[in-house]
Amino acid sequence: MKEMKLFLGPQHPGMHGNASVHMFVDGDIIKRSYLLPGMLYRGFEKQMERKLWVNNIALIPRVCVPEPDINEMAFASGAEKLLKLEIPERAHWIRMIILEFARISAHLMAYGGLGGPTGNYTLMYHAHADRNNILDIFEKITGARVYHQYIVIGGVRQDLPKGIEKDMHTFLDSLESRLKEYRDLGIDNASIIKRIKDTIMLPAEVVWELGVTGIGMRSAVNKAYDIRKVAPYARYDQVEFEVPVSDYSDARSRLDIKIKEVQQSINIIRQCLEKMPEGPVRVKPARGQSMRWTVPKGHVYSMVESSRGEFGYYMVSNGGTHPYRVGVRGASYPQGLLGIEKYLPGTRIDDAALWVDTMGICSPEIDR
Amino acid sequence: MNSMNNIERVKEIVEKVAKVRKFEQIDKFQIAFEIEKNDVHQTLSALKLAGWKQLSYLSAIDWIETSKFELVYVLFNWDEALYIQIRAMIEREAAEMNSIISIFPGAKYYEREAHEFFGINFPGNPDYHKQLILENWDDIPPLRKDFDPSVYSDRKFPKREYSVDYSVKDPENKSFEKIKEREKRALSLRTGGQKK
Amino acid sequence: MNENNKYPKSSIFRPLRHIKYIFKKPVTHPLETIFTKKNADYLKGVKVMKSSKAKISNPRTAPDNLRGFHINDWEKCIGCGTCGEICPTAAITMVERHDLPKVAGKLQQRPVIDYGRCCFCGLCVDTCTTESLKMTKEYIYADSNPDSFQLMPTETWQDQEVEQAYVKNEDTDLLDLERVEMEHIEGSERINSYIEVVRGYSKEYARLEAARCVECGVCTASCPVQMHIPMYIKTIWEDDIEGGLRQIYETNPLPGVCGRVCTHNCETACAIAVRGEAIAIRWLKRYIIDSAPDDMYKKIFTEPVSEVIDAKVAIAGSGPSSLSAAYYLRGLGYKVDVFEEKSRAGGVASFGAPQYRIPDYAVEKDINFIKSIGVNIHTNTKIGSDITFEDLEKKYDAVFLGTGFFKGRVLNIPGADHPDIMGAMDFLPLTRDFARGTLKLEDMNVKPSVVVVGGGDVAFDVARNCIRIQLQKYGKANVLLTSLETLDILPGSDDEYIEGKEEGIKFRLGYGPQEVVVEDGKIKGLKVWKCTRVFDEEGRFNPSFDQSQEEIFEAEQVFFSVGQAPDYSYIPESLKDKVKIERGKIKADEAGKVEGLDWLYVGGDIFRGPDIITAVSDGHRAAVAIDDYLYNKAKKKEQSEYFKEVREAIRFNNPEPALKPKRKRTLI
Repeated sequence: MKEMKLFLGPQHPGMHGNASVHMFVDGDIIKRSYLLPGMLYRGFEKQMERKLWVNNIALIPRVCVPEPDINEMAFASGAEKLLKLEIPERAHWIRMIILEFARISAHLMAYGGLGGPTGNYTLMYHAHADRNNILDIFEKITGARVYHQYIVIGGVRQDLPKGIEKDMHTFLDSLESRLKEYRDLGIDNASIIKRIKDTIMLPAEVVWELGVTGIGMRSAVNKAYDIRKVAPYARYDQVEFEVPVSDYSDARSRLDIKIKEVQQSINIIRQCLEKMPEGPVRVKPARGQSMRWTVPKGHVYSMVESSRGEFGYYMVSNGGTHPYRVGVRGASYPQGLLGIEKYLPGTRIDDAALWVDTMGICSPEIDR
Repeated sequence: MNSMNNIERVKEIVEKVAKVRKFEQIDKFQIAFEIEKNDVHQTLSALKLAGWKQLSYLSAIDWIETSKFELVYVLFNWDEALYIQIRAMIEREAAEMNSIISIFPGAKYYEREAHEFFGINFPGNPDYHKQLILENWDDIPPLRKDFDPSVYSDRKFPKREYSVDYSVKDPENKSFEKIKEREKRALSLRTGGQKK
Repeated sequence: MNENNKYPKSSIFRPLRHIKYIFKKPVTHPLETIFTKKNADYLKGVKVMKSSKAKISNPRTAPDNLRGFHINDWEKCIGCGTCGEICPTAAITMVERHDLPKVAGKLQQRPVIDYGRCCFCGLCVDTCTTESLKMTKEYIYADSNPDSFQLMPTETWQDQEVEQAYVKNEDTDLLDLERVEMEHIEGSERINSYIEVVRGYSKEYARLEAARCVECGVCTASCPVQMHIPMYIKTIWEDDIEGGLRQIYETNPLPGVCGRVCTHNCETACAIAVRGEAIAIRWLKRYIIDSAPDDMYKKIFTEPVSEVIDAKVAIAGSGPSSLSAAYYLRGLGYKVDVFEEKSRAGGVASFGAPQYRIPDYAVEKDINFIKSIGVNIHTNTKIGSDITFEDLEKKYDAVFLGTGFFKGRVLNIPGADHPDIMGAMDFLPLTRDFARGTLKLEDMNVKPSVVVVGGGDVAFDVARNCIRIQLQKYGKANVLLTSLETLDILPGSDDEYIEGKEEGIKFRLGYGPQEVVVEDGKIKGLKVWKCTRVFDEEGRFNPSFDQSQEEIFEAEQVFFSVGQAPDYSYIPESLKDKVKIERGKIKADEAGKVEGLDWLYVGGDIFRGPDIITAVSDGHRAAVAIDDYLYNKAKKKEQSEYFKEVREAIRFNNPEPALKPKRKRTLI
């Protein structure tokens, strides 16, 4: 039969962000495929070199739209490592709250995104409605809904507003009670199970070959490979949480881990609210006005566990007011590029969108 | 898991196969080695055997003043939680570095990106020269320090002029012109003359 | 397969469980809650919109720290432009608003924000020097015309009073409001000698202090010579002392002096001082001078300054205005001779200000450079006796007078003619000579208990000198300072008051001296009345006293520091009627040209006063005016390109009259 070329994206309900998967199909089966990134390329790495350390905080969250806070965290903690700066204790805990809320929101978005390729839009609406509540909380804390610009070099921008703890508890309780509902609608839904059970496999060898991290890795190798556990940052070593794992990585098991991680994040936030000390939340990285803040010479790779895996910033300072080089390692880079080239072929066309969805691919991270 | 012994062990491994120009401990979970270009492959192989199975990041830094590119390989070992940066300098002119995809297949696209943004060639990588992100790029690789994006955008895109003007001007009042002139003069007096 | 991957058994009844979701309330924001009235009104005009629900506007209130659209309080805004500097998206531009008054510490410009670029990061609010820029709870704005996204924030948003949301607080402030501590020698230690009180910044501290500057430049208009203040501060931060030195010498030939004893109006006008402590501009200037080695001075002019214009200028006096005029005239290419009656040049810097403020070596450093470019300074040459005024007029093409106010004034009250009573300007030159060692301790007529009358900086100089001399002479000090003005309106600077207090001056402020009580030829004390007001309703000096509150401050000696007077005895009879003198000052035009006499120029105290830096500006203006007068008449040699550039720069930098900033008192 003749080989045909099909595009998945950039406009497609199953495609996350503006990238396009080019597929050469024979019948239903994908024979060759590759990702065409570049539609969202904004030149962030170059822009960061040309911005002050301080006003980079306006730019970095935009690297990843659904989960902007990990960028802020990676950038801020990297700069703090170069500065050898100790930030106030309270700031660590506030950062954890923000990061875990971001994780929940990204998981909800990705889980709801399952609605696109499977046609179950109810799931998407529910997930987005709950995500909206998280954005309301973010708005109250940080002053913005999506690009919070809240985690800054030296701590967090300002203290939590009064009474926000109550809002958080209310939301966490309601979300926790709805998790069952999410399972019912999604991975325990008989019609969806048929689509996700035993398909889109990710064997452990492939994980190591591509360098996949995050849920993809944990669902395959059955080990708690989570940066929060193995190399804890902030105060993750002082909270109790489990890292859900599996040794059989099909689409369903990865989605199952996602929902379990939401539960763990809820637990972490509750512990943070309980254990968080009072005190200052920000120290200035250097004396003087912010446009003359400098960071000592050095290289640092600063990493955070994002909802999709290891997210890192490689930062180089030459001692000036601007970063000399900032490199962004997006968590979806290995599976998004090499993964699609090597392991998407062989699957069916209708699974391609699910493949992209459950592997955790976020095209803004690839494009930067 | 992570102790000084662990770092000592890595040091031994690296020193066995490479000449270490500089060792640096960045924090509890991160160390860095600066090594020679030719030792990179052996070092990466040795570290992969020792458990550093994941290539987290690969990229380059443009040190235009010394006319060098610095290649960075970041490895991670999930069982012993230690990031290792391997850094090596290569010449900026006709920059070339043998591909590492035989050791870490995941490096394929990182190398393609490094080629696209810095112009470094990676022989051994079958696709390194292919276009990845920048479609129809017609300038020098953009992450090189001598590429100026504002000049590029001025060349490529029209400038938007707004018709709204909020200024209230008195033609007699030349204070801002004077301030600008004075600033220009003062800048020219600095060592190295006018630069901003 | 492990247990994680177990999934429920399918059952025909399972879908029934989902029925309960029918009764659940959806979690969404209804459309009306994100609609402003403007948008709803717009929709009302659109015929296609049939549904009336879409036209309801009931916007939800945003949270308290939302980063919405900006408002800017124009009363507070000083137009510093720091918001535009930090803006990561270059959305903020400053536009000229010449309708605003031109006042010290403010620029006639205001920010305009392009909301097509703005990313609502709020860094402009965080860095605002005055807290005038704030963000509001307003976040909805729609228009089909792109031009309408260019908006100038005022006190209102779209002409409506709106709630403010994201404002600066201690955590978010990006400016450094605290000055880097300057090392002082402790009060108890410094009074034992004439060692300089302020130690000066080390390199590290100077850079930290320089890092606080936001480069807005509101200070320059308040500087009488309009120095390149933000620029030279930046050179410190960049560690380019040589560049800084060149920039300083562009507008001020006495930086070592001014770095120590300037009245620093720039600091009063400083944008950081709106909410915090001003940048230590004066001390940073001093840092450049102190850290510039002597051979670096050769690099100020890259070619030697030579006489290219065949004209000679005589300068009477060698105080700040004279030295400034000499420096610039020399830079313009003239032959310059300076005549000084005293043994050393410097005028008030060498004989007025005390040694612990400005040591001789600092004055000499400045003067040596002026000498090194070819200015001839003739000391011990008094005009009138050693050289006549007519000689100057004959031998030189132009004459500049900068002879200053060097006579002390004494209040005309009973007993003030006692020989132990001295005016400040008669006493201070002696103290300088004493500090140098040319006068002996026994020559200093200072009694064990002293009252100083006056509230200006000079009164403090007298009092603090008295303490030092008394300690050496008697082992203990007893100095009381009294002035008409109470602390809130005391003309002396805050530094002087604080340091004076540390050194042990006793203060009785708000009294008017009425009589020096003399018994048996010895001073017993100073009789004073309580002063009830110093200035009248119209702001004129017009003190009134309450006689019932009479007191006698016991002392054996009284110093008066109530102003100084000029000495015009050198002006010959032939010119006396041509030179008009009003309240002790010579009348002249803006540049210092004496009315009716083309060749005679004046500057400094005898023309404008009142401080060193204004005198320097007088010298500069006079030099340019003299150049205007002589350049076309005189013969000229061929000029190099570099020389033309120097001449142009000197003429370009001719200072405008400075704006006087309103003084802020921090002591009360």
